[in-house]
Amino acid sequence: MNKRWFSALLAGVMLFPAAGTLASCAGERAELVLKVYNWEEYIDEGGEGTFVFDELHELDDKGKPVKDASGNHVHIESDIVDDDYKAWYEEATGVPLSEEGPAILDDFELWYQKNYGVKVKVEYSTFGTNEDMYNELLLGNEYDLLCPSDYMIMKLAAENRLEKYDAAFFDPEREENYYIRNVSPFIQEKFETNAGLAGKEYTWSEYAAGYMWGTTGFVYNPEIVSEDELRELDWQVFITKGEKYTNKITAKDNVRDTYFAALGVTFEEELKALKERRESGEISAEEYMLRLTERFNDTSEETIAKVEPILQKIKENIYSFETDTGKADLVNGNVNLNYAWSGDAVYAMDLAETENEKELNYFVPEGGSNLWFDGWVMPKGIDAEHKQAAQAFVNFLSMPENAMRNSYYIGYTSAISGSEMEMLDYADYLYGYEFDPKEEEEPEETVEYDLGWFFGQEDASITATREQAERRQLYAQYPPEAVMARCAVMDYYGQEATVHINELWSRVKAETLDGWAIVVICLTVCGIALFAIFVKFGAKIDLFRPKPKKGYHRVDPD
Amino acid sequence: MKIPRFSRKTLGIPYAVFLLFFVIIPMLVILFYAFTTGVKDPVTGAESFSFSFSNFLRFFSDPTKLSTIVYSLVIALVTTVLCLLIAYPVAYILARSKLKKKFVILMLFVLPMWINFVLRVNALREIFNLLSLAPALEGLTSANYFKTIFGMVYDFLPFMILPLYTTIMKIDQSLYEASADLGGGAFTTFTRVTLPLSMPGIMSGVTMVFLPSMTNYVVSDMLGNAKVTIIGKFIYEYFGNDWHMGSMVALVLLIVVFLSSWLSGGFTADENVRGTNL
Repeated sequence: MNKRWFSALLAGVMLFPAAGTLASCAGERAELVLKVYNWEEYIDEGGEGTFVFDELHELDDKGKPVKDASGNHVHIESDIVDDDYKAWYEEATGVPLSEEGPAILDDFELWYQKNYGVKVKVEYSTFGTNEDMYNELLLGNEYDLLCPSDYMIMKLAAENRLEKYDAAFFDPEREENYYIRNVSPFIQEKFETNAGLAGKEYTWSEYAAGYMWGTTGFVYNPEIVSEDELRELDWQVFITKGEKYTNKITAKDNVRDTYFAALGVTFEEELKALKERRESGEISAEEYMLRLTERFNDTSEETIAKVEPILQKIKENIYSFETDTGKADLVNGNVNLNYAWSGDAVYAMDLAETENEKELNYFVPEGGSNLWFDGWVMPKGIDAEHKQAAQAFVNFLSMPENAMRNSYYIGYTSAISGSEMEMLDYADYLYGYEFDPKEEEEPEETVEYDLGWFFGQEDASITATREQAERRQLYAQYPPEAVMARCAVMDYYGQEATVHINELWSRVKAETLDGWAIVVICLTVCGIALFAIFVKFGAKIDLFRPKPKKGYHRVDPD
Repeated sequence: MKIPRFSRKTLGIPYAVFLLFFVIIPMLVILFYAFTTGVKDPVTGAESFSFSFSNFLRFFSDPTKLSTIVYSLVIALVTTVLCLLIAYPVAYILARSKLKKKFVILMLFVLPMWINFVLRVNALREIFNLLSLAPALEGLTSANYFKTIFGMVYDFLPFMILPLYTTIMKIDQSLYEASADLGGGAFTTFTRVTLPLSMPGIMSGVTMVFLPSMTNYVVSDMLGNAKVTIIGKFIYEYFGNDWHMGSMVALVLLIVVFLSSWLSGGFTADENVRGTNL
C-alpha cells in the first residue's frame, strides 16, 4: 500500500514541471517573441555597474558600491538621474525606476506593451565576431534584429539578406520615431552617403540604424611613450625597433583591422602628403575623404604585394595579435601600446585609473584612421508584426535616456545625439570640468571643446580640461572634428578580394618553410611511415621471420 | 499483428542514430564542402555548388598550409614526447609504490582537469607575465613556441598519466618475480617486462595527447600571443569566410590524424588498451 502511494506521489511530482511547461506554452502563445542577436556585453544588462545603479549609489575609488555598517548600499542623489529622469522612466514603462538598475530588455517589454498594446518577449542572444553572426544566419537560424558592423552590413545587403526599414521609420513627425529625431546628424549623413558595393544602388540608411560607433587608434602609456614621439612615428610605431616598441605593442588578431593598420604603415608618406594638400586648401574635404577611403580600402594585387612584407615586419615587432587581452596587457604594463577600438580604449583608461591609478592616453594616427559603426538590421522576410517590434526596439534604444545607459555600460559612443542634445549633457556630466574652489586651489587649464560636428548645432561645446580634450576619455569617445576629418570607413571588400586578403593573412600568421624543407620533411615522414608499416606487418611476412636455429625446433601453436 | 520483440539489438538503435547524425553525416558534409565550390547568387543570396578539385589543388600548392601542417605535427610530436617522458616515471612510481595515499597524489595530478581549461591557460599566461621572462625570452620568436608547448604539456599531462597508471597497475606482480628469478636486473625487468606490457597504455596516452595538441589553438593564441599558428586555427579562420577551403583543411587533418593513429597501432583490437577511466 505504502509503495503505491509513494509511486502516485512520485508521478505527481514528476508531472508538475511538465504541467508548468504546458501552462507557460499556453501563456506564450499570446505574446510576440522578438529575437535579438547582438554582440557580447553590448547592452545595459542591469544591476551593479550600470548607469542607473552607479548614479544612485555612493561608490568608492575602485568604482564599487560603498556599504554602510548594516551591509546596505548607500543611496545618493544624482544630478543626471534626477527627478525628470525618474519621471521619464515611469512614464515610459509604467513602473517606478528601480534604484538597483533595471535591465533595458525588461524595460522594452514593459514599454512595448504599454505603447503598442502587445505583449512582447525579447529572446536575446550574443555573438563574438561578425563572421560567427554571419554563419549563424547562413545556417538558417532566425532572428528579427541583428547588430553587425559596417562591412558586414554591406556584405549582407550585397547578398540581399536584409529587409529595408519602413519609409515611415524615418519620418520625424511621427511620435514613435525616436531614432530619426535623436540620431546624430553626422551619423545619419554617413549612413545616407555610404553606399554598398560599386554598382549597387542603395545606401546604408535604408537597411541599418546606427547603434554605436568609434575610431581606432593607439592606447598608450604616456610615462613611457610620449605623445610627441607617437605623433612623429605615427603608424610607423608598428615597425619601429627599440626598447619601447619592439615586443611592446599589440595588433588585432583579425585580418581587416591589421590590414588597415599595415596600409597606414605602408602608405604613411602618401597619406601625410595628402593631408598637407588638404590643409593647404589644394584639395577639397570631399576629395580628401574620397582618396583616403580609396587608399584604406585598396585590395589590388600590387597593394597586397607591397603590404605583405610590412605585415611580416609588424608581426616580428609586436608583442601579440589579440582580440581582448590587449587591454589587460597594457594596464598590467606588459606592453606600452595597444592598437584598439575607441570604446576599448575608454575601458582600458577607466580600468587603469581605478585599478592601477595610472593614466593612459589615446591617439588617433595623423595619417588617417578607421571610422566604424555597428548598426541594427533586420533579416529579409521578417513579417510585419515582428518588423514593427524590431523597429520599435531600435526606437526605444534611441531615446537619449536609454542611449546614456547603453553608452555608459558598454563604454562605446552612441550614435544618438538627442534632439535636445541630451547626450552632450551626458558627456559634459562625465568629462566636463568645473572649477571647485573647495577641492582645488587653482583651476586647471581648460578648453572649449567643440562638438558641433556631431550634434549638428553651432553652440554644442563642453568646457573640459586640456587633458580630456586632447588625449583622454572625452577625446576617445567624442573625437574633435579634425580627427574625424581623417577617419575613413572600411568597406566590404567583396567576395574575391576577401579571399585574397585571407590568403595574405594566413601567409603572415603562419610560418612558411622553404620548398626544399617541405620536401625533406615529407620524405622523412614517408620514411617513418614505411618503417612503421614494416614494424606493424613485417612479422607477418615470411621473408622477415627469423629462421629457427639448427637443431632446435620451435613449436608454433598455429 | 505481431508486437516487435524487444531484443538486445534494440538497445543499439539510439547509438546507431547518434553515430549517423553526429559522426557519419557531418563527415559527409565536410567531404561535400571540401570538393565543391560555391557561387553566391547576387540577387537571392542563395549559394549554388559545383564539384571541383580547386580546394584540393589550392591546399597542396600552398607552401603556407603545408608548412603549417608540418609545424603543427612538430608541436604535437614534441608535446607528446615531453608528456610521455614526464608522465611515465610518475605513473610508474605511483603504480608500483606501496604508498598508502597514492590515490591522493594521483588525484593531485588529475585535479587541474576539473578546472575550466581556458581559465587554466589564462592563469598560466599570468604566471608567465609574473615571472617576466621578458629580457631573456621575449625577444625571440621561439619564446612563443616554448610557451605554447609548455601550455600544451601542462594541459594534456593528465591524459597521459591516467592510462599509463592503469596499465602499469594491472601488470601482474608475479611477472616481476619471475623476471627476478630468471636473473633479470632492474633495467632488464623494465625493458623486457614493464615497457612491453605498458605499451597499450602508452599508445592510448599518445593518441589522447597527440590529436588534440595538433588543433588546440586556444593555447597557441593565448600563450603564443597568436604568433604561433597551428592547423586548428586555420580551420577556424576559414570557417569564418570560406567553408569549402575550411573543410578541405579539416579533411587533410583528418587524414593525417587517421594515418598517424593507424600506424602507431591505435586501432589494434588489443583488449588491453585502457581508457582514462574518466
